[in-house]
Amino acid sequence: MRISEHPILSFDRGKKITFLFNGKKISAYENETVASALTAAGINVLSRSIKYNRPRGFFCGIGKCSSCLMTVDGVPNVKTCVTPVKDGMVVESQDGKGNLPENKEFKSKKETLHADVAVVGAGPAGLSAAITASKHGADVLLIDENPVAGGQLIKQTHKFFGSKEHKAGVRGIEIAKLLLNEIENSNVNLLLNAGVIGYYKDNSHMLAVVQNSKLIKVYPKKIIVATGASENMLAFPGNDLPGVVGAGGVQTLMNVYGIRPGNSVLMVGAGNVGLIVSYQLMQAGINVKMVVEALPKIGGYIVHAAKLRRLGVPILTSHTVKNAYGNGRVEGARIVKLENWKETGEGFDVDVDLICLAVGLTPTCEILFQAGCETKYIPELGGWVARHDRNLETSIKGIYVAGDCSGIEEASTAMMEGRIAGMDAAEKLGFKIDEKEKKDAFENLKTLRSGPFGEKPRIGKEKMWGRK
Amino acid sequence: MRGIVSEANNSEAFSEAKMSDVAVIGGGINGCALAYELAKKGVNATVFEKGYLGSGATGRCGGGIRQQFDTEDNIRLVMESVKIFEKMEKELGYDIEYDQGGYLVLAHSDEEKERFKKNVELQRSMGLGVNFLEKEEIKELCPILDVDGAKAVGATFCQTDGHANPFRVTEAYAKNAERLGAEIKTFTEVKGIKKEKRFEIITEKEKMFADVVVNAAGCYSKQIAEMVGVKLPNKPYRHEILATESLKPVLKPMIISFMDGIYFCQHKTGQIVGGIGNPDEPSGINTESSFWFLEKMASTITRYIPSFKNLNVLRQWAGMYDVTPDARPILGKTNVKNFFVVCGFSGHGFMVAPVTAKLMSELIVDGKTSMPIDNLSIERFKKGVIRKEGAVVG
Repeated sequence: MRISEHPILSFDRGKKITFLFNGKKISAYENETVASALTAAGINVLSRSIKYNRPRGFFCGIGKCSSCLMTVDGVPNVKTCVTPVKDGMVVESQDGKGNLPENKEFKSKKETLHADVAVVGAGPAGLSAAITASKHGADVLLIDENPVAGGQLIKQTHKFFGSKEHKAGVRGIEIAKLLLNEIENSNVNLLLNAGVIGYYKDNSHMLAVVQNSKLIKVYPKKIIVATGASENMLAFPGNDLPGVVGAGGVQTLMNVYGIRPGNSVLMVGAGNVGLIVSYQLMQAGINVKMVVEALPKIGGYIVHAAKLRRLGVPILTSHTVKNAYGNGRVEGARIVKLENWKETGEGFDVDVDLICLAVGLTPTCEILFQAGCETKYIPELGGWVARHDRNLETSIKGIYVAGDCSGIEEASTAMMEGRIAGMDAAEKLGFKIDEKEKKDAFENLKTLRSGPFGEKPRIGKEKMWGRK
Repeated sequence: MRGIVSEANNSEAFSEAKMSDVAVIGGGINGCALAYELAKKGVNATVFEKGYLGSGATGRCGGGIRQQFDTEDNIRLVMESVKIFEKMEKELGYDIEYDQGGYLVLAHSDEEKERFKKNVELQRSMGLGVNFLEKEEIKELCPILDVDGAKAVGATFCQTDGHANPFRVTEAYAKNAERLGAEIKTFTEVKGIKKEKRFEIITEKEKMFADVVVNAAGCYSKQIAEMVGVKLPNKPYRHEILATESLKPVLKPMIISFMDGIYFCQHKTGQIVGGIGNPDEPSGINTESSFWFLEKMASTITRYIPSFKNLNVLRQWAGMYDVTPDARPILGKTNVKNFFVVCGFSGHGFMVAPVTAKLMSELIVDGKTSMPIDNLSIERFKKGVIRKEGAVVG
């Protein structure tokens, strides 16, 4: 199920290795994760639910859900979608809960770090915030829980829209390379495989970070939270069958690891993500049977929709998935027509082995809420968000947000928000900033939000700032 | 005669506001259980909760149910409570995740050992099935525990102690209370209480009249009591707790130590849930999580069970103990007629709620209780603290 030819991407898979899965030898490549290697080997059931023992498969691919928890080298509940596979590794599926490892040898290490600015999350917003704050003289620590930086940019093969300053016409993967290159040539201290486990008050701000088995206490003067978002789930019977995968998870498998998540797919959602990922699925050689959209109109850009239609993919508006079925994994789905949000008729079945959900995102705000930032429910921004001012500072002085965790938008605005937050943090730390540069960043953000597709976040942000 | 309630019901009706026989302030386990017991006796109760049900100490507690106390009042209360817990799933029709895995209480010194032996004597004389264990016997009972690492020299064990899920128990009581006619108002904070002929309960949304008011407001009991001029000696203290990732069953009993101030057990969900007290914690309402706790809990629990070093902590949180000068609850009447208190549980409110609710419903409706609770009346503090509960943890 590995992709051998791709119109845009070439995959650096690294050396061939072997690992054990439930006692069976599986071939893989060293640059893959455990879950992606298992998917490539045709293994769909990665875990079983704790309460009802239902099979669960690959879903988010970025360590945010829990459907890929397995026992790896004796350690239970490992997020296998973000764990690099290693030669000779022993991977076992868990029957619900895992077993406590016997191993009593456990060397825990401690470290304390100080920084002017700590940025949490190395996606488009976090990278931009770190680069900007560092450029102005701040000592920056950039923290990400993944083994590679770049966030979701590293799987965006499509070209960005907008003007030249917004890197229009450039593919996301290329933008990621540019940003990572800037980080490399800066003084930013990048901490990968490092998860922030909590915010504490210890005279000043303190973030507890766990990197492998090391506990790091980080004392930053300013914190910029750029933790992104998580995939929304849609409620329908069978939505937990292996083969129901989030759009981000599908992109991770195809575009990062070069693995085909299935052979034929039903895409749920005709917003930009649904349309773009449908096209990417076709580029990966997967049969896109149809796109269904519960709304009466296509939500995404018409150019994306037109590309799909030219290739013969039907996009059914006012249609949704009623249920998914299959024995142990998706074998098909029942589609129904909606009239005024009510089901009409019996619907029809579509045979697919993959149902891709592109039904929106929810801001990842846990660390902000735990820190005690004031919250506000703004549906246009994706739900609960931390209240923030125009400089992206929250109700707690010195804690900023940027990117999707400040409200769902897209990568171009995320980068701009990162820049503004980075600049404001640097300025408040006493570093000199160029007023024009800041003004330009605000202007850019305004331009990006001025089109019809910027309407939702524009309304959302205005609700936050108290203007009608 | 049906006591206070029926008496009051004969007085003239108020047309401008709603009327309830009993207003219960606090939608934790005690408030909800009391509403249920009152409803069973045909009394119309209204519960006022400022957040969601169990949003105070109830939903933040470890869910432990322990009979091994060192004052007779506490032992008797929890023993009666256990009888109710044992039948609760059937009576309330809810899975409350009840598990009688026992409590293993560790002694760390010869002095503590002797004290525990006396406790066992007292507890056994009251009919509790409890045993003193020597060091070797602890290893046999709980092989995963590193007895030397925990520095234990002996222990007591009671098999009928255990734990249940506080959210489920609260919901079970609340739903059954509603089914029998009680009204439960969540997100309704009591802003004031006026005492005239009846009590007038003032919330942001409305006014309500009640014949009887019961203060079951946990760490806010003191403020609620002040609204009618009743002074309570209670002080709020923060206590912190954490839960790990889920595991297959590895730990049967709840393990506690008064010396280390630690308690932990494995819930039916598979999570290890436990807390440790901070002797330097200042009094005050504060539900922030501290790093001090996370480090202290991790270093202590892994000394007890070294293989827990492999576990990930999923969450930590904090809740409030409503602490009295003798660490025993305050139950019963006050100097304001028909204003009752059910508070001051000092960290043990969940485990005794089923029985205190029963007793309070008897006191309110029948004017007398089936078990003596005079020792727990607020009057006792006038004479100064006589007998302090020593078996307090967390």
